[in-house]
Amino acid sequence: MLSMRRFKAMVAKEWKDGIRNPHILLNAGMPILLALLFAQKDGDPADLTFLTVPILVAISITGAFVQAAMIAEEKEKNTLRALMLSPATKLEVLAGKSATTVLFALIVIAACIVISGVPDVNIAYLAILSVLLLMIFMALGTVIGLIARTASESSIVGLPVLLFFIFGPIFVPDLDVPVLMNVIRWLPSQQYVVAITELHRDGAFGSIAGQMLNLLAWTALTGALCFLAYGRQRFDK
Amino acid sequence: MKQAIIKVENLGKQYKKKQALKGISFEVQQGEIFGFLGPSGSGKTTTVKILTSQLIHTTGRVQVLGNDPGRSRRPAFLARIGVLTDNSGLYDRLSVLDNLVLFCRLYGVSEKRAGAVLEAVNLSGDGKTPVGKLSKGMKQRVTLGRAILHEPDILFLDEPTSALDPVNSGRIRETLLEMNRRGTTIFLTTHNMQEAEQLCHRVAFLNNGELSALDTPQALRLRYGDRTITVTTREGSRVIAQNEAGADEVSALMRSGELLAIHSNEPTLGDIFVQLTGRGLE
Ligand SMILES: Nc1ncnc2c1ncn2[C@@H]1O[C@H](COP(=O)(O)OP(=O)(O)OP(=O)(O)O)[C@@H](O)[C@H]1O
Ligand SMILES: [Mg+2]
Repeated sequence: MLSMRRFKAMVAKEWKDGIRNPHILLNAGMPILLALLFAQKDGDPADLTFLTVPILVAISITGAFVQAAMIAEEKEKNTLRALMLSPATKLEVLAGKSATTVLFALIVIAACIVISGVPDVNIAYLAILSVLLLMIFMALGTVIGLIARTASESSIVGLPVLLFFIFGPIFVPDLDVPVLMNVIRWLPSQQYVVAITELHRDGAFGSIAGQMLNLLAWTALTGALCFLAYGRQRFDK
Repeated sequence: MKQAIIKVENLGKQYKKKQALKGISFEVQQGEIFGFLGPSGSGKTTTVKILTSQLIHTTGRVQVLGNDPGRSRRPAFLARIGVLTDNSGLYDRLSVLDNLVLFCRLYGVSEKRAGAVLEAVNLSGDGKTPVGKLSKGMKQRVTLGRAILHEPDILFLDEPTSALDPVNSGRIRETLLEMNRRGTTIFLTTHNMQEAEQLCHRVAFLNNGELSALDTPQALRLRYGDRTITVTTREGSRVIAQNEAGADEVSALMRSGELLAIHSNEPTLGDIFVQLTGRGLE
């Protein structure tokens, strides 16, 4: 059972703390910076990369790293112990953090869209794809946060995720390494980029059904992973 | 007839290699200030963690407020206990008041309690200060404030010594005694016997995971005192046994006007601990 009062108390605290936390501000600022850099380059208008990459980066970096940093720091500073000694439950604490991460992500995504513009596709489909991608990365962030013991460790544990999931689809297609590309192809981030490109070309739901299915599978997989890590992690030793 | 609010029977805790508690038994009555004394590594924190549902014991039985704390990580149980440990942190970037307000909301008590509690721990001027800018002792007083926000039925204090530094100790001791008068049971661990003597109704001596004594400080002093007095004359001090010969000696000193001072040799709790366990408390 989730107490709404305690959930709201957690969100209010996370927000107040988050906007004073350089680590979180850095992670939230990075996608915006990237969007600004991308906006400087004169891109081929037919190339959607300029529009999708900033959103992809906003969703993945904010979703994964803000979430991970918030969870890990709570352990690092021993504040989790105090929370766990209060009537707040693990679920309420995690829900409060997740809601705050969503809040941060929405702001960063909005900023990126303002800077680089919206891809010319069906907004409803784009929103569904984006929500799924955000859930996937937040689940990954939760797992990273649960594994890492400190906020800086969460960056270290998360770095492989960053390189693989985020930069894979951005750089690997240009590398001409078929083996790597075969792996990258199945990543949710790559599927997201492909789906938006398909939507732009075709516009029909049928053209992105495969990608949608892949994202749903990733959501289920990372969700289960998250549940596993959450269950195993004893907040108190 | 007072009720036992904490019941511990044959409590044992085995860490991977270390047997931290070797079957201890005691009861804490409602309304009591109970002192748990022992040197470093004797198992005080382990006991507090078990009583406050942070750790599961390996053998024996534990009841706190009628619950098995290991199985009742339930909000209703946690709302009735307050815990001050040396290792529970505060949010450095938030102000003192914001830290407390969060917990007011989590406990569902009026946010006005935050201000009242700041006064009780002598920090009323520092509500707006970010916790990161406070000294260690001040932080611990905030932590104490947080532990008493919701007026718990039992307050667990694990070595509150730095919160009780000489400057603030008076105010905070007063706060604790006042809470106790209003019905809060206090379970205090310390290796500072002065603290224990000043506050506790009963004390238990823990050594190496075993209890070696449990009684009121007065009873312990009477039982283990060696019934001597020290007299001081111009020539110096000497110890005199409390018997007939000693009485004659003292009265002679009194008559001759040589006696400058006279002290009863009541042992401190620390002395008794050494006597019982062969090791010191510090
Ligand atoms: N998590 C743990 N894993 C293994 N051993 C532990 C653990 N926690 C405590 N111990 C051991 O159990 C014993 C009791 O420790 P505990 O922390 O309860 O002592 P304490 O009386 O609180 O000491 P102090 O006065 O230093 O705080 C010690 O020997 C300690 O090394
Ligand atoms: Mg200890």
